[in-house]
Amino acid sequence: MTFLQFAFYVFGAALVFAAGMVVTIRNPVKSALFLVLAFFSAACVWITLQAEFLAIVLVLVYVGAVMVLFLFVVMMLDIDLAKLRAGFTRYLPIGGLVAVLLVAEIALVMYGSFDTGEYRAPVAYGVEYSNTEALGAQIYTQYVYAFEIAALILLVAIIAAIALTMRRRPNNKYNNPSAQVRVKRADRLRIVKMDSVLPTAPISVTEPTTESIPEQD
Amino acid sequence: MLTNYFPILLFILVGLALGTVAIGVGKVLAPNKPDAQKLSPYECGFEPFEDSRMKFDVRYYLVAILFIIFDLEIAFLFPWAIVLDEIGVFGFWAMMVFLGILVIGFIYEWKKGALEWE
Amino acid sequence: MTLQSLQTALALPEIFVAAMASAILILGLFINKDRNDIVCFWLSVFTLIATCVLIISDFATQTAFAFNGLFVDDPMGDLLKVAICLLSATIFIYSRQYNQDRNIFSNEYYVLGLFAVCGMMVMASANHLLTLYLGLELMSLCLYSMIAFFRDDKLAVEAAMKYFVLGALASSILLYGMSLLYGLTGALELAVISSVVSNLGKDNLALALAVVFIVVALAFKIGAVPFHMWIPDVYHGAPTSTTAFISAAPKIAAFALIMRLLVGGLEDLHVQWQQMLIILALLSVAVGNIIAIAQDNLKRMLAYSTISHMGFFLFGILSGSAAGYSASLFYILIYATMSCAAFGLILYLSTKDFESDQLNDLKGLSKRSPWTALLFLILMFSMAGVPPTAGFFAKLSVIQALIDANLAWVAVVAVVLAVIGAYYYLRIIKLIYFDAPQTIPEADAPIAVQSDSKIVLAINVIIIIAILPWIGTLITLCNRVIKQFVY
Repeated sequence: MTFLQFAFYVFGAALVFAAGMVVTIRNPVKSALFLVLAFFSAACVWITLQAEFLAIVLVLVYVGAVMVLFLFVVMMLDIDLAKLRAGFTRYLPIGGLVAVLLVAEIALVMYGSFDTGEYRAPVAYGVEYSNTEALGAQIYTQYVYAFEIAALILLVAIIAAIALTMRRRPNNKYNNPSAQVRVKRADRLRIVKMDSVLPTAPISVTEPTTESIPEQD
Repeated sequence: MLTNYFPILLFILVGLALGTVAIGVGKVLAPNKPDAQKLSPYECGFEPFEDSRMKFDVRYYLVAILFIIFDLEIAFLFPWAIVLDEIGVFGFWAMMVFLGILVIGFIYEWKKGALEWE
Repeated sequence: MTLQSLQTALALPEIFVAAMASAILILGLFINKDRNDIVCFWLSVFTLIATCVLIISDFATQTAFAFNGLFVDDPMGDLLKVAICLLSATIFIYSRQYNQDRNIFSNEYYVLGLFAVCGMMVMASANHLLTLYLGLELMSLCLYSMIAFFRDDKLAVEAAMKYFVLGALASSILLYGMSLLYGLTGALELAVISSVVSNLGKDNLALALAVVFIVVALAFKIGAVPFHMWIPDVYHGAPTSTTAFISAAPKIAAFALIMRLLVGGLEDLHVQWQQMLIILALLSVAVGNIIAIAQDNLKRMLAYSTISHMGFFLFGILSGSAAGYSASLFYILIYATMSCAAFGLILYLSTKDFESDQLNDLKGLSKRSPWTALLFLILMFSMAGVPPTAGFFAKLSVIQALIDANLAWVAVVAVVLAVIGAYYYLRIIKLIYFDAPQTIPEADAPIAVQSDSKIVLAINVIIIIAILPWIGTLITLCNRVIKQFVY
């Protein structure tokens, strides 16, 4: 076993372990952190495959950004864990059976077919090979069509996210600090000239009239 | 290939060592006399009122998702920047179209007020 | 590399749709809110019609490749694209009133609809696993969000969630199959995959595994039993305008996806996927037709009817001959037209605060509006496959293909199940013509929709019968484009 193979098995084992923890652990925040470990291990596996750029993007985008979103969602959902667990144990036997069968089938098929040398083996590149450069040379010319469709997908994601979560809240009251700072005496205070006359009746107690700052929308 | 990763290995080792030493020294040297009261969780001296995790406004989610989309866009810029001299004018304009499509999304976002907090 | 060497001009329709969708998105932001609906609506319809004109004016006579083999322009792709655009434009016309009444973000509805159309068109002329997948995702992403347009409606959000989660699962299964295929063949271009696959041989076990994954994912996407669970919930929960959109053009795109992947890439493994498709198709027709009988919601009933129609459509594909594929193409074109009309009728009957999606709402329709009742009558006869309608010829050609492929037993079962299915279509006719009207006031409200919608709906339904003299021409057209694709 070469060192690379050893590294592959270590990272692969970490990946499988972390993925298992993601679905079994009780605390959803911890589960999200195990997902980070899973992404990290996957990135390491990709590095052993010489896909350095993809590995770094995986860490950057998934660990850096998507996980933040996941934590938001975990917080937002206010999950009832007991309820979630109830389904888990109930479906574990059948789910586990399906998973074991699937893995067994895939393993059987793969062992029988991939080592026959019938298929093209991946090329091992030298030290000077740059994955980023190789990708760059392809994406923007050879695959330009797919590249622009990817842009459209991102655009649709923007539209969908805004259309589904944006809400105008006309009832919200909030302070506008800059308006508060810029306020002049004239906006708040009105001096009313009155003749000084003696009250004929006792002064009735009325509510003081206050002028509030006009609400900004 | 592996020799290239030697600096990264060193980096990981130094990072691990630094973290372990900082925590370990604190553990060993600091006075540590726990009792039941000290170890129990509390809020301003009281028993905790509720779960410390609480619901966020959905607007945080919108900001996060918009961030991810533009983060992905940036990821496409790295390989482009490296090979710009090889892929020439065509590659340049391919990226401009890509960015143009996302700018349309950005205009939409801006005009809709998704970037304002109200 | 230049635009000429990429043959960019071949993808002009796709580029046009995407550009117009972006333009409408921006325009919608800058015009006055009450004129917004109308402007976006007419521009979107104009875009789709103009795209049709663009495609027809440059209708492919042979296969041509563009974008380094990522894109293929062939007669089948062009025919499918024309159908996609026409059906989507029709749905837009039906949906306008409904969207206005319910304050659905109409700008977003049309823009996302156009982007979905763009995704379907990308699929229709994909020659590469990458473009197939990206087109599929572009379409699905738009549909997920269109379903959730009623953000505060529990059913709609649940439907969107289910569709999204299951759709993402199906996409990942599809990707797994594709990656296996790539690992085995070393190619992503469908033509290359096809030639490598024929070298590897029919009984390659690893390839069979890849086919299993791909077929499962495709079954998920078209909603064939046992991967159909999301269809009734989505059809029922989504706003009717979105359900209508999902029920028509995406079926055409599904045909494109299946043809490009299974026939274009993996035809040599026909023996492998035929068995899987037989099971899927038979189960779909059986489950769809039998469960539909128990429904009392019209949208849900049409969802089960979709499942059974998808089964029928698979019969053509699985017979594995050019005649079978062409029967399938013919079937899906007719079915999408019928489905479009069916939801058009529901949208037509719904008013501002009345969805009109219960079967009971149709009671006594013949007295309320004899014309609408007649349209329903034609449509239901056609969906059930009663002889003088297009639906009958669609079923006939599929059954014919099954018999030619020595699958007579499948054909017999299909016919028996179709007869069972006829029951619930005919029940609607009974409700409309022989039952006393309901006494709730909403069901009595006069039908008020714009005349453009009325005219298009009438044309849409009447086409199902009026096409009869030209049905031979349409079948010949299907045969011709499929021949070009297969050989």
